[in-house]
Amino acid sequence: MPFISRTARQSDYSHFPSTCPIVIDNGGSYFRIGWAGETDPRLVFRNIVQRPRHKTTGETVSIVGDQDPTLLRYFDCTRSGPRSAFDSNVVYQFEIMEYILDFGFDRMGVDGSQSLYFILGQLPMQEKRVISVGSLFLKQVDHPVLITECVCNPIQSRSKMAELLFESYGVPSIAFGVDAAFSYKYNQQCGVCGEDGLAICSGFATSHAIPHSYIYGFPELLSLSTFFSLFDCSRFTWEKVEDLKMEHCYIAPDYASEVRLFQKGTKEAEEKTRCWQLPWVPPPTEEPRSEEEIARKAAIKERQGQRLREMAEAKRSSRINELENQLQGLEFLLQQLAYVQESDVPSFLAETGYVSKQEIESTLAKVTQSLRKAKGEQVESEAKADPSATEKFPLVNIPDEMLTLEQLKEKRKQLFLKTTTEGRQRAKQKRFEEEMERERLNQQDEEKRLENPELYLEQLQAKYKELSEKVEQRKRLKTNGGPTNGNHNVSGGVGRGERLNAAQKERMRLLTTAAFDRGKGEDTFGARDEDWHLYKLMSKDNDDDDEGPDEDEAELARVTSRLQVDYSFLYIKHMLLHLLNSLITSSLPMWDILLNLNSSLWQDIDPKFVPKSEPGPWQSSTEVPRSRPMTKEDFQILLEVERFRCPEILFQPNLIGIDQAGLDEMVGVSLRRLPSKAEGLEDRLTSNIFLTGGSCLYPGMSERLEAGIRMIRPCGSPIKIVKAFDPIFDAWRGAAAYANSLLFPQQTFTRMDYYEKGEDWLRKVKLIISEAYYALLKENRLFSFPMLSSLYGCCVLQLKF
Amino acid sequence: MEAEVFESEMVLPTYLRFKRIQMYEKYPKGQSRGRHWKHLKQILQAENYQSYPPNEPHYVNIESPPSMLPCKKICDITGYEAPYFDPRTNLRYANAEVFKIIRSLPSEYVQRYLALRNAAVVLK
Repeated sequence: MPFISRTARQSDYSHFPSTCPIVIDNGGSYFRIGWAGETDPRLVFRNIVQRPRHKTTGETVSIVGDQDPTLLRYFDCTRSGPRSAFDSNVVYQFEIMEYILDFGFDRMGVDGSQSLYFILGQLPMQEKRVISVGSLFLKQVDHPVLITECVCNPIQSRSKMAELLFESYGVPSIAFGVDAAFSYKYNQQCGVCGEDGLAICSGFATSHAIPHSYIYGFPELLSLSTFFSLFDCSRFTWEKVEDLKMEHCYIAPDYASEVRLFQKGTKEAEEKTRCWQLPWVPPPTEEPRSEEEIARKAAIKERQGQRLREMAEAKRSSRINELENQLQGLEFLLQQLAYVQESDVPSFLAETGYVSKQEIESTLAKVTQSLRKAKGEQVESEAKADPSATEKFPLVNIPDEMLTLEQLKEKRKQLFLKTTTEGRQRAKQKRFEEEMERERLNQQDEEKRLENPELYLEQLQAKYKELSEKVEQRKRLKTNGGPTNGNHNVSGGVGRGERLNAAQKERMRLLTTAAFDRGKGEDTFGARDEDWHLYKLMSKDNDDDDEGPDEDEAELARVTSRLQVDYSFLYIKHMLLHLLNSLITSSLPMWDILLNLNSSLWQDIDPKFVPKSEPGPWQSSTEVPRSRPMTKEDFQILLEVERFRCPEILFQPNLIGIDQAGLDEMVGVSLRRLPSKAEGLEDRLTSNIFLTGGSCLYPGMSERLEAGIRMIRPCGSPIKIVKAFDPIFDAWRGAAAYANSLLFPQQTFTRMDYYEKGEDWLRKVKLIISEAYYALLKENRLFSFPMLSSLYGCCVLQLKF
Repeated sequence: MEAEVFESEMVLPTYLRFKRIQMYEKYPKGQSRGRHWKHLKQILQAENYQSYPPNEPHYVNIESPPSMLPCKKICDITGYEAPYFDPRTNLRYANAEVFKIIRSLPSEYVQRYLALRNAAVVLK
């Protein structure tokens, strides 16, 4: 992988004189820091900060860049994810920036006091005297800093950066520069590109075309990540997506024709389809066990069973023994008791602990019974486990006349008991039947689904709609009290009536009218039998729910449950199934989700994954089906159109709803905006189109860009596209080389200036800054003309995502 | 804190000798502080770019202009060219099969697809 963090602590800070600038490439994705004049940055880390809570101590800590995910398990990262200081390509959160700078300087080995002694050694005598004792322990980063920023960085952002560096770190002087310019400069020195050129910097968040075309590249990543966010899984790691991007994405020479290849399913497309194999551990292979092994296993099982049986047997026999002893003792006691005189019984029994002869006898009976039970004989009570109804309720069938009063009472009781048991049995039977019915329906559905999944789904949906409407309507009817009451409700608004259903309302009406009736004239209530029906109507359990809705609701529930499963099947199958599954993070919980998805959804729900020959019983989606063992293929993600669909947005931002010109068009616009119509200038520029930034690493980028630009430029104009030697690190290298030049100290702003003129100075002297800034760029001679000066103003273009 | 965490030095120390103002001095703990930063949009507004000379480049006017080319329409689901458009869901689709799918999608997923190209209904 091209991006590797380097965060080892540097130890040679004190070896650098305080005049040696520290060079920072503050990119949207990576932060690179190192010493001027060196070829590689000392530290490279992702430009993000996490502020998780330590799980045991609960304190909030700051973690900069990527860290070992295994160590992150000690922290609770659920509250806050990784945060960036950038809004598109502008630094706007300086608290986060400060953490990042802290980390960068700390790892560079900056140590205030050490360097101070070093400075003291370097300083001439008279200046040494000026430094007071208090400032001996001056806390500062005592090196000039060169930091990159985006083209046309808003002054606010730049002044805040200056404030931060001057006030918090005590940096003596600062210079700002544009990364693309540095990269161009570096490559120009290497002979990759000429003096005049057009730099296309496709970075993390925006892309720029310079003389001007800027498109920093985050877009495809953004879109990829949006694809991922489709699946509610925010826990993928950037690295994984980035790896995916770096490994598989490419830019199609022509999107339309490329996509047609895939649509037709040509062989070429098949070749271009990439499989992304998720880490997959083959399940323990279940080879048919050898006879020997089976026998051995059986023997072990048998032996264990035997031992258990023996233990149980021993326990039983010991109990029997015990009981027999007790029995003998009691019998002996009784025999003895027979010889003892009546009057002596209490004193005789006092020793044994029994009070009377009856007690001994009852104990004896108990012991005999338990002995019999222990010996496995049938105990009487068990005999009446399942008596027929006639035995259980002997009195039910006998006419009343033949029974005494006592028996009559008993009979009534038995009658009651009998009806309840019968009712219970009936309910049980009914439940069982319902269960069977549901099972059968599900089975049928399953068969239908396997036969023709699309048709089945349609039918299911139609049914769902119908049922839900039906249920909904009934509910409405119930609450509104039917169409007759409807208009009353409309006018009535939200009273108590609104909350009652029709039956309850009727009851309320009856109650009130009954109360009023009482007062008028002669009270004839109760004269007729029908009058009493009123009470029946008034009684509370009158809200009869007919059987209809219940059935419908049950059916609806069933259909819904099936539909849900089928949606998830769709979800997986059509919402970029492969991408979803590429959401692997190294974290374990994610793996569980993935495994669940793979096993339950792919196999169980997608009919294509279930071999038709063995339609296993329908299983709930949480169960792992056993119908087919998982294979390596189930853990593969097919990347087809997505391979070039995502990067395509660099050229057609319209695809993700951004109404801006793509990279190739931007080059045209940028050239058109050039105020200078010098002879051959445009040709000179187009013959030196320079690509830098992480996004230009896509295969096919140069070709596509060339094709695009050729369409815009007049026929026969020279077009040559060159890629930076190292699109990722060249900006830093260029900056480091620049900071090492003798001219550099003249291009910086000093802390003295800053303190003298105040914080607002940067804003007030905007022109000076920009002049210095442009001078810096001029110095770079990035483009033979100062592309950023007012002269070339609007030829700078930026595509933001 | 665990020994391995210490060894890896992954946690940024709260006190750094080279700093003039420490983080905890700048952002004291327990004190509710308002948002101390501006969004890019606010920053740009505050920059007062209208007062700049028209030919001077600044962050806003270097933005890439709208494309002059007609927008290619691609199927929201498959990425193929999309000749059709479903007025009910507002999704673009490539063929009848995809149409079946989008008609069966719950509205939540439809919105997610739309969000991919900034066309989702956003309730504020």
